[in-house]
Amino acid sequence: MRIVVGDPEYCVACRDCAYACAFAHGGGFDRESSRIAVSFSPEDRVCLPLTCMHCAEAWCMEVCPAAAISRDPETGAVVIHEERCAGCKMCLLACPLGAVSFDAAAGVARKCDLCGGDPACVRSCTVDVLQYCEPGEMADARRESLEAKLRAVYRKGEGGS
Amino acid sequence: MEAPPQTVQTLCRMCDDRCGIDVRLEDGRVVDITGNPAHPWNLGRLCVKARAAVDTVNHPDRLLRPLKRHGDDWEEIPLERALDEIAERLRAIIEKDGARSVSVWKGEAIGFAQQEDLARRFIHAIGSPNYLSNDSMCWVGRFTGYKLVLGAWPNVDIENARCVVMWGANPPHSRPNLTQRITKARRRGATLVAVDPRLSAVARRADLHVAPLPGTDGALALGLFRELVESGSYDRSLVERATVGFDDLAGYAREFTPDVVERETGIPPATLSEMARLLRAADGRVALYPGNGLEHHENGVDNIRAILSLNALLGALGKVGGSLFAPPLPLRDLTLYDERPLATLEPLGADRFPVLYEVRRECHTMTALNGILTGRPYPLRAMLLAGANPALTNPNSEKVVRALSALELFVVRDLFMTETAALADYVLPAASFLERSEIHTHHEIGVVTLTAGVGRQPEVQTEYEFWRDLARRLGAGEYFPWEDDGELNRWLLEPAGVTLEHLEAHPEGVVYGSPPVDAEIERFPTPSGKVEFVSTHLAELGYDALPKYRRPAYIETPDPAYPFVLMTGARSLLFGHSRSHNISRFAEEAPAPGLEMHPDDASVLGLADGDTARVTTRIGSVDAPVRVVATNELPRHCLQLTHGWAGVNANALTHDDRFDRISGFPLMKSVEARVEPAGGAG
Repeated sequence: MRIVVGDPEYCVACRDCAYACAFAHGGGFDRESSRIAVSFSPEDRVCLPLTCMHCAEAWCMEVCPAAAISRDPETGAVVIHEERCAGCKMCLLACPLGAVSFDAAAGVARKCDLCGGDPACVRSCTVDVLQYCEPGEMADARRESLEAKLRAVYRKGEGGS
Repeated sequence: MEAPPQTVQTLCRMCDDRCGIDVRLEDGRVVDITGNPAHPWNLGRLCVKARAAVDTVNHPDRLLRPLKRHGDDWEEIPLERALDEIAERLRAIIEKDGARSVSVWKGEAIGFAQQEDLARRFIHAIGSPNYLSNDSMCWVGRFTGYKLVLGAWPNVDIENARCVVMWGANPPHSRPNLTQRITKARRRGATLVAVDPRLSAVARRADLHVAPLPGTDGALALGLFRELVESGSYDRSLVERATVGFDDLAGYAREFTPDVVERETGIPPATLSEMARLLRAADGRVALYPGNGLEHHENGVDNIRAILSLNALLGALGKVGGSLFAPPLPLRDLTLYDERPLATLEPLGADRFPVLYEVRRECHTMTALNGILTGRPYPLRAMLLAGANPALTNPNSEKVVRALSALELFVVRDLFMTETAALADYVLPAASFLERSEIHTHHEIGVVTLTAGVGRQPEVQTEYEFWRDLARRLGAGEYFPWEDDGELNRWLLEPAGVTLEHLEAHPEGVVYGSPPVDAEIERFPTPSGKVEFVSTHLAELGYDALPKYRRPAYIETPDPAYPFVLMTGARSLLFGHSRSHNISRFAEEAPAPGLEMHPDDASVLGLADGDTARVTTRIGSVDAPVRVVATNELPRHCLQLTHGWAGVNANALTHDDRFDRISGFPLMKSVEARVEPAGGAG
């Protein structure tokens, strides 16, 4: 299945994705309600886009006592059914990525649902960092990028200036 | 019967990226905007600003009827009556004080190219040379630098570069989809150097962030020039074949040793040498992209000239992944500079800033605003302003408001009752970019796109319709013979080798350019036909022929009363200058700009994040919420405040009385300032 993956190598933490996610799910641009979080640590100059990985063995789904979390048969997304959510927050505790948040006003847990197969965050990533792809494709892309850098090093070693 | 929902492909114009968008319409009303995957510029990706266009066009405050001022009140009047009255008043002013007492002012909000040229055409058609625009402080500073050094502004081929240099530019906020081209280049092994006093978004993950003090970029460029020459690693063949003044500039740059560069800019020698190494390692495939950050200084154009000169040393000219000159789409030219040259009528500012007028036929807004108040060099009585908000975006807002209020006739076209429109005698509703059908070229990728024009409103005119109807009333109708925008577009396209029908059938854009190839540039469009390290033309006008480095005043003559240096104008993701602040879902997320400050400065001043600080310059004072940044996000004693907000207005602090000597650009980024906690901080 495809998931949303972001490459921290090139992310600039513009947070366009977080605005788009908040808008897609709530009609506003309140980034607090976004289901993708981009952390930025200025001193380290590190930008980390993080969202749900839709784990093959989804602990949030397994732990949910209300059976409110299931896998979407079409997209493979692990989704929360709000009408069943009891607000117990077990899923927040279970998620190793911190990708589940709690909407205190609505009293329900929230997480990425892949927007039904056309993730708004990816469509809004003008840096071309977020991709909606098979996890293996991301690994390929990173390897190709590393190869390109190595080529540049060899080019220099072989007489390039 | 309700029409079925419809999706129309067109372009966004919330910023100059002009991304391909799919506009979803229900009953002719715009309900959603998403990226168009078929358009080659953005490939379906779209920033949050574009979505905000939905809120803009449907905004409850949108102006839909012409308004006429009566004291403090507005009267809604029919469009034809508004145009008749405006024409009559213009005729009376022209009769009394001559056509040059009338001016036009083009703003960023109406878009570039065709709309700009219609305003230029109109003002010349009625006999005045006074075309004013936001370009008195945007873009033309760099254009001037390019004209002087290379003769034209080339395409900077980011995607194919081996080293991308973003110098004073922050595309993730200013032109978001340019950033995906940087990422594509980096995935292929390109390095990225970001030159900016701030750790801007594009600098965050750059291979090298070089942070010169504001306005010292020329010293950095000359230091790099020296380093490349001394190490012998420059393109000798290009320098010998295609440049003038190399010995002079190399001789002058010799002064800029790493120690001098460090003293002037604050950049350590190791960083300078690392930047030189990354530039050299790219074998001429250096995409050097100059940004607006370089322009708002008293020494801007010479700094830009020094920076652009590096292109020749690096051998980046005419090279894939460097700077290339591709032939533009040969559209017809709407301006009348050949048919009706009016330079003898003293275009405002052309005497003091001859280069500004010569390279771009641009009058100088600060001179014009001054002239309204003083009557010198001659009275400026009337102004027709379209899509601009100088009350917030020109320097020294208080004076801007005073000057515009003193006009005998002030007509504003806009979507909203802006701070500027509120000063007008007539406010006319303008069509948004979505409602207009216009030709746009993405010269970087050689693609031309016709926008669709959707959701037209009655009594809301396009730019063409407005200038046409007013020109016809003033006896200049012969210059506006086309019936509508479609006919105009057809005329513009005639020499271009592509028909209107073809563009209409391909809303995803039509390729007119060819893929870039390495090609030796035979002749540069400069007076010498070569890259001009020195400019004889500038020398003839009384300037230095060399791009000499002049220290910013805050360094050269420090004033203890103003120990800080204020930068304004850093771009934000949500807002385009003064636009979109009236969109409630944006305003809730970002209610005011933060005064960016180094933590050590904040600590000395006893200010914490979120406190209110008072910033004072020689021009004015503003209270702003403090945003304490990390130690590497801003140098000490530097401040940054983004412009465009009415409540916390950065341009209440900027100078309309100190200019770059060549371009006439105002001082908005190296401004001497002091900061203190505002009364009742917290």
